[in-house]
Amino acid sequence: MNFIERYLAKAAGLDSVQPGQDIRCKVDLTMAHDVTAPMAVEQFEQIGVSRVFDRNKIVFVIDHIFPAATVQARNAYWKMKDFAAKYGIVFYEKGEGVCHQLLAERHRLQPGQILIGADSHTCTAGAYGAIGIGVGSTELAAAMATGTIDLEVPEVMQIYVTGKPAAFVCGKDVILTLIKRFGTDGLTDKAVVFTGPGIQTLSDEDRMTICNMGIEAGAMIACFGGSELEAEVAETVPLALETLVPVVACPHSPANVKPASELEDIAVTQVVVGSCTNGRLGDFKRVVDVLKFHKVHPDVNLLLIPASKTILGEMEKLGWCEILRNAGAVITNPGCGPCFGAHQGLAAERDTVLSTTNRNFLGRMGHRNAKIYLASPATAAETAVRGVITAPGTLPAGGKEA
Amino acid sequence: MSILRGRAWVFGNNVDTDQILPGYAMAEEVANLPKFAMAGSSVPDFAAKVQEGDIIIAGKNFGCGSSREQAPVALKGAGVGLVIAGSFARIFRRNAINIGLPVLVAETAGHIQSGDIIEANLETGEIILKDAVLKGKPLSANTLETIRAGGLINRVRQELGVN
Ligand code: SF4
Repeated sequence: MNFIERYLAKAAGLDSVQPGQDIRCKVDLTMAHDVTAPMAVEQFEQIGVSRVFDRNKIVFVIDHIFPAATVQARNAYWKMKDFAAKYGIVFYEKGEGVCHQLLAERHRLQPGQILIGADSHTCTAGAYGAIGIGVGSTELAAAMATGTIDLEVPEVMQIYVTGKPAAFVCGKDVILTLIKRFGTDGLTDKAVVFTGPGIQTLSDEDRMTICNMGIEAGAMIACFGGSELEAEVAETVPLALETLVPVVACPHSPANVKPASELEDIAVTQVVVGSCTNGRLGDFKRVVDVLKFHKVHPDVNLLLIPASKTILGEMEKLGWCEILRNAGAVITNPGCGPCFGAHQGLAAERDTVLSTTNRNFLGRMGHRNAKIYLASPATAAETAVRGVITAPGTLPAGGKEA
Repeated sequence: MSILRGRAWVFGNNVDTDQILPGYAMAEEVANLPKFAMAGSSVPDFAAKVQEGDIIIAGKNFGCGSSREQAPVALKGAGVGLVIAGSFARIFRRNAINIGLPVLVAETAGHIQSGDIIEANLETGEIILKDAVLKGKPLSANTLETIRAGGLINRVRQELGVN
């Protein structure tokens, strides 16, 4: 068995499992947010049980539309508030941050833990070796009642990582390069695991970015393992980090990936750095490193959306917020921001957005004709200064652009 | 229950959840969702024309995109009895089964036209056409059990002995 199979077998109380097998696993944590929880609450009530399986293992988060941008969003809050009060579950309701970030910060994710989330990016937890699986509201409601989930054991695709990335290559470039290779459905129903000596050069933050976007290739699970090669997997693909370059996913697919250096004449009107993909301290460090010396281009909105209140607090302590604001950036409250097109910076027909978020589908951030490019925070920072897509490392550090 | 018969509607590859149920319909009450079924697709007036038991036929990666469960809910509410596709995005497939909408994985490209009456056996995965039989992937025992119960909520109620 490979380590995914070992984790799943343990959660199912079995000695061994094999790909394709139907198993019933115990779940260690469940999560839903303000878009998916209201329907999960309705479905839970349909089941008709009087209690949840474990109130400490159910987490509700208000992150997608906070503060409420519509009356409907506020009603979602009330539905979750009532449920949280009735069953005594964990409820983050004051803009503490994006669900996947809060799970990592406040719920000590462990290797082998089974985490079920009513959000497709629940796979982010794989950065810590946890098995994060995205589900719909009904499946979440069932798990809240029973504490179990039925799964089919996935085939494992191993990415064997070696080497070290160049200075301006980020976790985002790693995963975009892989999505280009596999396509948006190349890993459907599979678990993708990252092993090899090269993973030691990737920070927890990089690992979260990488696992987060596993779903963009269709993966059921994305998870980091150890430095050793796992033997019993369906397929292994080698990845040499030193061969990677900064890349950008062009409209309208995360798999439409090109080197940033080939896109340099494309003008942008908005740059977004944030989300569960790239809204962490190391991501904003990339932006600060540039905005210490350069101002945001007059034709660009630079929106910075910290993934959590803790991260924003650190940014304040380090004096970054002042530097970023003085250079022309706007820092919003922690949350999902404009990532899925609900509020706080929607794009109109004429806009071209470069964003560190995870999806550039047609209409994702507003109007269908708005163009969305996805890239790393390093690429986003220099793009915001020059007003055109820019490969990171182009601007001189410590001085003004000539 | 495991043999379904209906009229086919043929779509292409990568029909995403925005085509199945556009984002703007997410603000609607559940009862209104069927009116928007496939509104973002190549057949925008699908909801007005679909009949009870009709079958959607598609290529690869049906249901990709967001995890919105409202997408299969809209199809089921509109009367769709089965979706057959070359492949499904995982979360869509699970959502559909969990709300009691059967889905079958099969390659049908070039074999079925919109309007054809076809028959599908969920247990064997066979799709019976006028002059051919296609072989799809049979549903797992676990999936069949959920479909037979009419969805996951009913199944959980049975298993927990709630009534
Ligand atoms: S930040 Fe974006 S991708 Fe992440 S949970 Fe929020 S809406 Fe989804």
